[in-house]
Amino acid sequence: MLSQIAMPNSTDRAPRRVLRAIATDVHFWIPLCVLLGGLLLLDKLS
Amino acid sequence: MPTANLQPAPTVQTPIPANRLRSLQALGIFCGFAAGAWLGGAEAPIKLVNPEISPITVSLIMVLGVFLARWSVPAFIRGTAHVRNDVRQAPHLIVWAVLAGCMWAVANTLTIYAIRNVGLSIAFPLWNTNSLLGIFWGFLLFNELHQAGWKRWLGVLGGAVCMFGGATLLAIASSHQAAPGKAALGIFAALGAGILWGTMYIPYRKAYLTGMNPLSFITFFTVGELATMTLLAVGYRGATPLWHELVSARAVLFWLMLGGFVWVIGDLFQQYATKYVGISRGIPLSNTNQLWGLLWGILVFHELRGAGQTVYAQVAGGSILMALGAVAIALSSATAREHSSWQDAAERESERYGIEGEYVRAGMEGRAYGAVATRRSVLDWLLILGTTGLFVALATMARLPHMDIGMGWAVALAVAMLSLLATCGIALWRTTRFR
Repeated sequence: MLSQIAMPNSTDRAPRRVLRAIATDVHFWIPLCVLLGGLLLLDKLS
Repeated sequence: MPTANLQPAPTVQTPIPANRLRSLQALGIFCGFAAGAWLGGAEAPIKLVNPEISPITVSLIMVLGVFLARWSVPAFIRGTAHVRNDVRQAPHLIVWAVLAGCMWAVANTLTIYAIRNVGLSIAFPLWNTNSLLGIFWGFLLFNELHQAGWKRWLGVLGGAVCMFGGATLLAIASSHQAAPGKAALGIFAALGAGILWGTMYIPYRKAYLTGMNPLSFITFFTVGELATMTLLAVGYRGATPLWHELVSARAVLFWLMLGGFVWVIGDLFQQYATKYVGISRGIPLSNTNQLWGLLWGILVFHELRGAGQTVYAQVAGGSILMALGAVAIALSSATAREHSSWQDAAERESERYGIEGEYVRAGMEGRAYGAVATRRSVLDWLLILGTTGLFVALATMARLPHMDIGMGWAVALAVAMLSLLATCGIALWRTTRFR
């Protein structure tokens, strides 16, 4: 039973599914946009 | 019938027992204060470094120390087997951790430009707004302060504003640099750093709501951190000049990397604080690092020697404001009702990324999930011994600059930091086994 709980569900964690979940998560785009803005600002400053 | 005693298995949303919740909240608050001490103490070794070295190179060397610490400390505390287990359960968090690391590196570089253009007194309060932004994201995205009641709102928001005011006074008092030209660019850089750091707490909270161990998160965080910092350093300095500067700085490599190592201990406590009390409380509490940095500056490096009464009044006023703000936040820990809102957010994450509900719940409660090997592997010992060996080698090359250092105070502050490390470390071990 314990080993069953500890085993990840390989179907659920397929890389494509994980990437799709990230790409459709608005929480991901907020920090990514802020990071890109920071890089642009850094470019202006240098 | 035996079925009469059967209870449904707890889900992510099943309330955490009140005693356990109180212990975890107290632990998170304690971690926040310990983080302040160690993050502030990390400034001490850096003050021993010749200011002629380029700030970007200083950052890069520190990040190298940070990278080594972020892999060797988890290997020492729990072993990398736990990291592998966390990654199997929540692989999406690698992406989030690397993203957060990239943000940290860009923000850190922006602060260099901010200090250069507007001075520390203006730059520091501007980027210190990161904790206010952290509260905003915590409320908006992760249900923090939901159903918290007006007293806790007042405690957290009032405390954060109080700390911001205190930080402003301290920054003005500790600044000896007049603001030169290019003020607008400097202000943008400082605000940019604050926004980057404030938003970086989104990945933090994301990770800890879904049960990840802070020791696992930081190992991937630092990959983004080192990669971005290396690219920035090579991009702005050029590969050959950067290499020459690194070679010529070998006498101070130890101090800078030690600063990075100390910083990682502080950051680790900050991560645990974020995990157990959320970003709205954990981040403002760890921002007390400015008080500790000031203590090192005044007592050990005699930075305010000969300053006027106004400066000392600013230091006293700023310190009292920061301390009051921290106390207000510490007394505003989450209630069971607010915590149930956090569990709703955790349930949402669990469903989105297909993570076992039991894994998420175990992470929130700081208890074990599944069977993981507890013995350290050869890789763990290689990381521990390799890092120790490198630091010993660098220490033999290091030179202490001729500076007026208050050794008595340095020892006293180091003892205070180590006491906090020991007591908070024991509390973490006894309550969660570093989960």
